[in-house]
Formats: sequence, C-alpha cells, structure tokens
Amino acid sequence: MDLENQRRVKELTEKYGAENMIVLIGGAEAESAGLAAETVTAGDPTFAGPLAGVPLGLKVYHPVEPEFKESVDPDVYDEQIGMMEMVLDVDSIIEEVKAMRDEHTKY
Amino acid sequence: MRGGEQMGKIKVVHYINQFFAGIGGEEKADHRPEVREEVLGPGLALKAGFKDEAEIVATVICGDSYFGENIEEAKKEVLEMVKKYNPDLFIAGPAFNAGRYGVACGTIADAVQNELGIPSLTAMYEENPGADMFKKAVYIVSTKDSAAGMRDAVKKIVPLALKLVKGEEIGSPAEEGYLERGIRKNYFTDKRGSERAVDMLIKKLKGEEFETEFPMPDFDRVPPNPAVKDITKATIAIVTSGGAVPKGNPDHIESSSAQKYGKYDIEGIFDLNPENGETAHGGYDPVYANDDLDRVIPVDVLRELEKEGKIGKLHRYYYSTVGNGTAVANAKKFAEEFSKELVADGVDAVILTST
Repeated sequence: MDLENQRRVKELTEKYGAENMIVLIGGAEAESAGLAAETVTAGDPTFAGPLAGVPLGLKVYHPVEPEFKESVDPDVYDEQIGMMEMVLDVDSIIEEVKAMRDEHTKY
Repeated sequence: MRGGEQMGKIKVVHYINQFFAGIGGEEKADHRPEVREEVLGPGLALKAGFKDEAEIVATVICGDSYFGENIEEAKKEVLEMVKKYNPDLFIAGPAFNAGRYGVACGTIADAVQNELGIPSLTAMYEENPGADMFKKAVYIVSTKDSAAGMRDAVKKIVPLALKLVKGEEIGSPAEEGYLERGIRKNYFTDKRGSERAVDMLIKKLKGEEFETEFPMPDFDRVPPNPAVKDITKATIAIVTSGGAVPKGNPDHIESSSAQKYGKYDIEGIFDLNPENGETAHGGYDPVYANDDLDRVIPVDVLRELEKEGKIGKLHRYYYSTVGNGTAVANAKKFAEEFSKELVADGVDAVILTST
C-alpha cells in the first residue's frame, strides 16, 4: 500500500476510532490484496510507511468477498463489479484477505 | 570486551535510506546523513525480532543519491556517527533490489566492520549491484527483490546478527541464508572424495539433483568483438537501458523492473526534443533526458557523423528498455531477441548507452 494511503488510513482511524472503520481494498490480484490487508491489520509489512509497526487491526474486505457482496444492492454490484469479478482470481483473493483478517483483525 | 563489558543488551546502530525513514522517495534522495536516537521503519521489525537481546540505540539515515555521488565524504560522515555510539553491532538495510541503496549498505557495512572493527551485516537481493561488490567483504543476507520480503529478511538477519556479535560459529550460506562469500571450510567426512564424486556422477547421469562441492564462480564476461573494419561504411545501431522512448511511451515500458523493450523508428529524425522523445526510466531525475533525449541516445551527433561520412549510417531503429531494477535474466532475454534482428538487418556495430 502506498505511503500516502497508509497515512490516510491512519489519520481516519485516529479521527473515527478503529472500531468504526472498514477498509475496502481494490487490489486486482491476491498478493497485492493480501499485502494491503496486512498493512491495515498487522501493520506495513515493508516497514517503509506510516503504518510500519502500527497494528491497527481494522476490518478489511475485498469487494469480491461474499460479506461485502451480500450487503450491497445486487444490481449495483453487477453493474460496478460484475465484470471484474469474472476476470479476477476471486478464490485466491478471498483466501489471502480472509487469512489476514482472521489472524490480525481486532474488531 | 565488546558485548561482554556491559552485560546488558547488545547495542545496535541501524542504517537506512531516506525512503525507509519516511522522509521521501526519489525527490529526497539527496538527503544528507543524519542520525536519530530512535527506531525507524525496518528497525521496528528488527527490534521485534531481537526482543530483549539487542537494542537499536540509533538510526543513521542517508539519501541514496547523496551517498552515491559523495561516497568518500558520506562514508566518513556516517562512520563518525556510528563511532559515536560505539555499538556492538551494525546493520545496514535491507536494500532488496534498490541499486544505489544496496551499494551504500555494502560500502558502509564494509567500512564499519573493517575501519571500526564492529561486526556488521547487510541484506539485499542477490541481483542488487551491491551484492556482487560486497558479498566477499561482509555478510549479506539474501532477500527477495522487493520490500514485501521484509519479514523473511528479518527472520534471517536477527539470528545471523546475534551469532556474529557473540562470536558464535556461522553456518554455511544455505543454513544461515546469506550470499556465498567464496570461502571454503574444511570438514571431516566418512566418505572419501572419489566415492563422493562417483555418487554425484551417477546422480547426474540419472538426471537426479546433486549438490556440487565446488561451485564454479558465475562469470558474466563478454569477450569484445573484433574491431569494426571500416567504420565509414558501418551501419551503427543504438541500444539503451536508459529508457529512451518516443513521446508518450507508446509501449508502456515500465519505469522499473521492465518486462519488455521497445523498437523505435528514427528515420527522418535528426534531433531529439521534448516533442518527439522522453525517458520512461524511473531511477534517475528525468528532467534533462526529457528536455533533450540526445543526452541518453546521441541521435543528433550520430546524424552529423553520418552526414560527414565518418560512419556508414545510423540504423533506422533503436532498441530501448529501462535498466532500473530489471532482472539480468530479462535483460539477457531481450538482447537475445533483438540481437538476431540487428544481425539480420545488417547492423555492423551497436552503441550501448546507459543512464
């Protein structure tokens, strides 16, 4: 996750409280999605950004995950994400993001 | 009595660049050396790895360009900073595949070890230019090519660093995870050499995996071609890793770790300018290249030489990629492809330009 986005997530979390935050990540493949999920839960794995050593433990989802999909209007989902869902490796993205959530999310 | 006299935690000084210190990227690469009495960036990961055994007492930060452009001066400044803390251990990096950072880490780890007598180590990707330059002088832990490999790197750095500072025996590169240093150690074995050699030969004949006891060094030497017989009749082509591309970078050559190269027509172009050319390279300040791309590929001068009859002609196409962090294996693959085209097109000689 780039340094500017890390800073934004950190600032928003300080402002609204970690328990009130959900991060939606848009990485197009499993590895980058997993790294982003790790960044907002366990802290920046590259130790280069504002979240280095800062385990926020936020709730984090990728839009292709069922938890998100089931909580939004199916028509809008189809229109906005349907196409990407067909071309992405959904299973491995879910596996990566869920693994990070299960291990590091505190909320 | 290093380490022993204080009976407490091992004192560590850590060296990182401006990026990992959170100061900034390329635009801050001229940052002058400074020291902070705190744990920063990757130091946080090291700190977690060391638990209570060692403590980072200071972090030295230096911009990669500043170090690269003022090596002697920067080395002196950083050494002074390290010396002040009289640490038991010095760690630089990890630098992953960042070239200037890798060279800086190697340079300073080598200097701290040899000039201050303090155990030192660094870490980087095996293809980082700093690896070949310093792997014989200092321990370099082998890392992945990007910072996503930080956790793995720390897992290897911490135990090796503790062994170094305690003077414990260091295992083989494969056991400890550092790059081979070209050092051979004697050991006792119950099988004599001829038997081991025959075992290896049998495995080799069967197509099975075997591990040589005497790895050949990996020489990457290219014998120079014979001189061009008559340069006034030769067709000269330009090949560059400087990222030269037509304006707009039509093939989207990546600004680092390039996965492709481009072939571009320069027929009728006598001078490169901000309208017809730019650089895709992400590893140096592109202002001067974008202002006049002849600074990367000298089309203007070669056109003059062509006109004056000093060379036969300038080949119609130039080939270009970005050398920034690009894997050697990829670069070789690119060259294998377009070298055949160059030969088929009757090119007699190539001018290779870098950045």
